[in-house]
Amino acid sequence: MDCSEGPGKPCGHQIPEKASRIHEEEDTKEEEEEEEEKEENELGDPAVLSAIHGAQRGHKGSPRLKAPSGLGISPVSLHFLCQTMDYLSPISFRSTFPSASSPARHFGPQLPSPDPSLFYSPPASWPPRFSHRTQLHPQHQRILQKQQQEQQSGQTPDPRVGKLWSQKPDPYAGLMNQREKDWVIKVQMVQLQSENPELDDYYYQEYYQKLERKQADEELFGRRGRMESPKLVTPYIQKAEDYESVVRIEGSLGQVAVSTCFGPRRAIDAVSHGSQEQDSAIYNQKLQVLYRIEKMFLQLLKLEENQKGMLAKPYFYELQRKQLEKIYQALRTGDQDNSEEAANGFLQVLSVRKGKVLVARLLLLLPQDQAVHLVLSITSHLPFLIRRDTADQALCMLFKPMGKCINLLAFSELLQGLQGLMVLQPGSQERPITVVLQNQFGISLLYSLLSHGEQLVSLNCSLKQHSSSDLAAWTDMVVLIAWEISHMSTASLAEPLVVPSNLLSLFCRYVDKQIVHQLEARM
Amino acid sequence: MNYMPGTASLIEDIDKKHLVLLRDGRTLIGYLRSIDQFANLVLHQTVERIHVGKKYGDIPRGIFVVRGENVVLLGEIDLEKESDTPLQQVSIEEILEEQRVEQQTKQEAERLKVQALKERGLSIPRADTLDEY
Repeated sequence: MDCSEGPGKPCGHQIPEKASRIHEEEDTKEEEEEEEEKEENELGDPAVLSAIHGAQRGHKGSPRLKAPSGLGISPVSLHFLCQTMDYLSPISFRSTFPSASSPARHFGPQLPSPDPSLFYSPPASWPPRFSHRTQLHPQHQRILQKQQQEQQSGQTPDPRVGKLWSQKPDPYAGLMNQREKDWVIKVQMVQLQSENPELDDYYYQEYYQKLERKQADEELFGRRGRMESPKLVTPYIQKAEDYESVVRIEGSLGQVAVSTCFGPRRAIDAVSHGSQEQDSAIYNQKLQVLYRIEKMFLQLLKLEENQKGMLAKPYFYELQRKQLEKIYQALRTGDQDNSEEAANGFLQVLSVRKGKVLVARLLLLLPQDQAVHLVLSITSHLPFLIRRDTADQALCMLFKPMGKCINLLAFSELLQGLQGLMVLQPGSQERPITVVLQNQFGISLLYSLLSHGEQLVSLNCSLKQHSSSDLAAWTDMVVLIAWEISHMSTASLAEPLVVPSNLLSLFCRYVDKQIVHQLEARM
Repeated sequence: MNYMPGTASLIEDIDKKHLVLLRDGRTLIGYLRSIDQFANLVLHQTVERIHVGKKYGDIPRGIFVVRGENVVLLGEIDLEKESDTPLQQVSIEEILEEQRVEQQTKQEAERLKVQALKERGLSIPRADTLDEY
């Protein structure tokens, strides 16, 4: 809809029709429809038309406000009410009151005896609809409805309006008639329409969903009497036409500087064109990694969006699984087939802050075996990651999703993870564990691994599920780690994010008193 | 009644007296008669109010049509509290004179400042020679 249209060209039939109802006083239904048709067909100058209408029916301005108050309602609030009610329920109005002459038209000075049910119980077809094309969040509609009811039952006229009314009636009031006001509001509402409200109107949707959730919680505690059934949020109706006001080129990040004859400029591209030749320049490599991350992130966002919106239908689940698989493969292999280089690609992704965010969010969605794979890669390359993270300090965001995955690890996998920490890396003098203990993420990860191992061991001790070699390896690991911790100065030990409660008891069992004492001091 | 709770709309402000501050610094007071989706305003019985110190003067201007992008802010005037102000109303001639004097002193101060800076080898670009934004 073109915003520059004047109010004289009605876009929907409902609003102009019912708006002119307010203006009429004595016309019959046939005459009304005739006039409206004339209005719509001729599409003449709105000013001329309104002037004609004004001349035909006499001055509208103040007389409307002087309606006799047969119901004991002040004329101002009556005017207010019929404005609001009429505005908010155009279609429902017509359907629920089909009796000969629409009661709305008698809101004028005549006012024989309007239907009291009009004021004291809203028509059954609430929630209100502004136009056939807009749709509010159900929670929003409920709030509006409640406000309406309060207004009707409370019958409190607006104090400001009341004050004004006490003065002389303004002869210039009503220059902007109701139809024009509705038109402005309609135009503003049209701008709110979108095909994807979750994306375009995220805060509005979130706010009303949160409100709904809060009310649902209150219901659970019995504070509210009525049960309000939760409704699905239906998407907005599609726009009639859609034009791209901004030139978008595929593969670019955002808006591209397009060169024209008035402004010759090079288009900026974040994609390196030398990808076929495997250019080994570090800059290109970095760009490649960034590009990979962007692609995977977009896929992840789409996946998360689908998950949020879709119910668990088997077809969609299958589709999602495939998409997830795609992302996982992209993460693992990149362009290479070699597993060593694949791990390299993964680590490169993790070296970038956005890559860490990607992996953190992906870990929550992946199936168990793939998640374990990733977690083990991370633990075996921890020192490298820690070194690369000194600038961002963003590793800690991986802790929570990894923690969740760790709690589901099998004993052998756990051992694998821990062993990765103890192996002396070629080319460095110290064990990885020293680096790990000095880093917050590393030490938290270590503690959660140990805690989970302790849980597994203590649970299955009597069942003898684990092989003796496994248990021996576990014992050795614990002793070694305890030794390392106790021999590290307290100052250089990092502060873990979470200290599991069963660690000390674990150490007590395997290690002698002296070391336990030192461990206590450090933990 | 706000049709869109949580949003700002001028619909309820129609036919009420408003004070409008424009981007060029003018203050207009008038009855808001009509609006559109760009917040273009039609002000009726408009008065341009000039403030100098504790004094003010009103220049009647009639009907104003203001383009929406030039409005900084506007607010409704409470008619009962309108006269309840410590400011003193003076005639138009007087306020224009006061304004002229104020402009002059400002310009003089500015000139001195620029000269002092020039003597020290610094130059601060004047606000009116900068771009508007």
